[in-house]
Amino acid sequence: MTGATSPPFVFVVDDDSSVRSSLKLLIGTVGLEVESFESTEEFLRRNLPDSPSCLVLDVRLRGISGLDFQRELAARNIRIPIIFITGHGDIPMSVRAMKGGAVEFLTKPFRDQDLLDAIRIALERDRINRHEEKELKEIQQRFDSLSLREREVTSMVVSGMLNKQIADALGTTENTVKVHRSRATEKMHAQSLADLVRMIEKLKDRRGQSL
Amino acid sequence: MTDSVTEKNDLALQESIPEGMAPLESIIYTEELNRRTWRAPDYEKENRALVKLVSALADSPATVLQTLAETIMDITQCDSAGLSLLTKDGKTPDVCGKRFYWPAITGMWKSHVGGGTPRNFGPCGDVLDRNCTLLFKHFERRYPYLMPVSPSAVECLLVPFYLGGKAVGTIWGMMHSDRRKFDAEDDRVMASLGKFASTAYQALMHIEDLKFQVSEREKAEAEVRKLASGLEAKVRRLVDANIIGIFIWNFDGRIVEANEAFLHMVEYENEELVSGGMRWTDLTPPEWRDRDAHAAAEAKENGAVQHYEKEFFRKDGTRVPVMIGAALFQDGGNEGVAFVIDLSEQKRAVQDWKEAQQALQVTQMELARVSRLTTMGEMAASIAHEVNQPLTAVTNNGNACLRLLANHNLEPDVLHRALEEIVADGTRASAIITRIRAFLKKKPAEKNALDMNEVIHETLALAGRELSGNRVKVELRLVPALPLVLADRIQLQQVLLNLIINAIEAMTGDDDQARVLHVESGTGESGEVLVAVRDMGTGLGSEPDRIFIPFYTTKTNGMGMGLSISRSLVEGHGGRLWAGPNSPRGSVFSFTLPVAAESFS
Repeated sequence: MTGATSPPFVFVVDDDSSVRSSLKLLIGTVGLEVESFESTEEFLRRNLPDSPSCLVLDVRLRGISGLDFQRELAARNIRIPIIFITGHGDIPMSVRAMKGGAVEFLTKPFRDQDLLDAIRIALERDRINRHEEKELKEIQQRFDSLSLREREVTSMVVSGMLNKQIADALGTTENTVKVHRSRATEKMHAQSLADLVRMIEKLKDRRGQSL
Repeated sequence: MTDSVTEKNDLALQESIPEGMAPLESIIYTEELNRRTWRAPDYEKENRALVKLVSALADSPATVLQTLAETIMDITQCDSAGLSLLTKDGKTPDVCGKRFYWPAITGMWKSHVGGGTPRNFGPCGDVLDRNCTLLFKHFERRYPYLMPVSPSAVECLLVPFYLGGKAVGTIWGMMHSDRRKFDAEDDRVMASLGKFASTAYQALMHIEDLKFQVSEREKAEAEVRKLASGLEAKVRRLVDANIIGIFIWNFDGRIVEANEAFLHMVEYENEELVSGGMRWTDLTPPEWRDRDAHAAAEAKENGAVQHYEKEFFRKDGTRVPVMIGAALFQDGGNEGVAFVIDLSEQKRAVQDWKEAQQALQVTQMELARVSRLTTMGEMAASIAHEVNQPLTAVTNNGNACLRLLANHNLEPDVLHRALEEIVADGTRASAIITRIRAFLKKKPAEKNALDMNEVIHETLALAGRELSGNRVKVELRLVPALPLVLADRIQLQQVLLNLIINAIEAMTGDDDQARVLHVESGTGESGEVLVAVRDMGTGLGSEPDRIFIPFYTTKTNGMGMGLSISRSLVEGHGGRLWAGPNSPRGSVFSFTLPVAAESFS
């Protein structure tokens, strides 16, 4: 089960047990599933569910700083949105957290509504991320099914070249190009040229520009 | 050392290392030299020692090695000192010798003079093998033949001794107790004396050799006898030895003759001397001419000049620091001899030491400054963090209860647990506060009678970097001879530093205004000591007293704890701290402290 139908999860990592249990109760009052962990290691041992989720993370933890853990997650390619909570935050700390992609940086004690709003935004962001990830995966699969020549023609088409120019560039006839082009459009499930361009741009974004 | 060993003139002729002896590395502690506190070079004492060695060479060359041993003991303040020389026949130094003998020893080991150690199994041999200074502790742990030698050597510092560029022995100092430990300065001074003495020793050998050759010829014998006596002979000996710079001068300012050592010092060639171009008056920088004139007068009066320090110009215009002494050949004559010792190396050693001390002081100041600045901030931050945890839990649980109530979600179990946790966390927060109070009480202020003006100067030094970095000028108006206050120096520094840093921050916002910080001291109406810190900053606004409320802050990066902590520190001393507007602008923070009881009497 994926996408909007599976229930969202909120994970809490804080080494203070009182804070942990109070967060669990508070977040639970809006009907969300909450799981809490004493340490980042414990959190990493949990297999993350295939459903929208977010992480409420304390900055000052035993052994590792929450900010370092944010980097570690990025390095492991775990893209869970993070909401930082801290007992004594300063501006450089929050700047670093936000630059690292955090949703929010809250100083303890915080207003309950601020936290719940941040969680809502984080879950929404993760939902969109997951949706895009899924779509991207499908586009990639379709693109992988293209033949080498079809890929060549497609990339020339989306770069704005006319059939005739493509035929000249590849040393073939305009008709052959048309055949490749329509087959590629069909395989990619593209409704229009604009649709095809959008899909290819997404793939490019993912791969850092070149196809 | 037992008598029989002394008689045999030998400690043992062991050539190999017996089994079960301590390994060499376990008795060598040379690296410790640099870790130990490094005492200041006493180059005046060193100079006196060099002069003593020179006169020993001139008067009684045979005792120069004994003088060297005595000098080492005197300068390093060790318990025994001496020389070890490699020899084949037990008399003449020889690089290929199989054993070391001790031609000169002084101090507690004096009676062992004439003894020695094997070349390949002993501390001296280790020094020659490595060709560097070594520091040993209890070397008898490895070399058993040294065990009966008493008193035992707790520490022994050995420096190689060279003749003609080859290491032929060692000079050494020894401690027989923990009274004093050798340091890097001992190493330097022993190496320096050793270098000097080896040149002296070579010159001595050379002269002995010369004497021997001359005595072969009957004709010369009379002249040798003549040469061997009187000042001229001594001078000639010293001139040729080139250990120290020597020149013959006259009152007209000319240098009539000079030896290589002197020419080398001032970097002139012999031809330039021969051509008559050298004048000691021209070699002397202007500011030393008065001193020279004084010396010339002394020479005319007494026939000799007590040695003193001065400088000479080198040929390239740079200066060489020297020690110089002089004597007339004849009372009332026009010519005399001057001996000159190059002090460059010693001056450099002093300079190095001073720089090291200065660097150390800067580091210590920086450390003190940082720790004063951070203690208050760190404490406030850690209190905030500690108390924040239970407060967060209380707030979260309270909010959760409100939400559950609003949703009519009234599960008694859930509500009960939440309320229980609220109570528990409230108790925890108050326990933290109690613990901090107890902690603060445990460290009672260390009160001493202090001069407030002194504390002000110390604190300004601590704030030096902040002041100069923000281009803030300090104007002091301190009443001298203030009555002493009974206070904790560190706490007062913290209070003052906090006020000064606040004042600096208040003035750095506005670039157009003059940044002047006034610090004043004086006495109040009832005799208490009064301190005021005035700034020309933005001022305090309409409610100056709010700034003393904990966690109230006007700064973007402040905790709002500095002033409230400062006020409690001052009140803890029985004083008061308050703020007011400064005229024409800015603010003034003042505090009073009661006078120490002994100040009245």
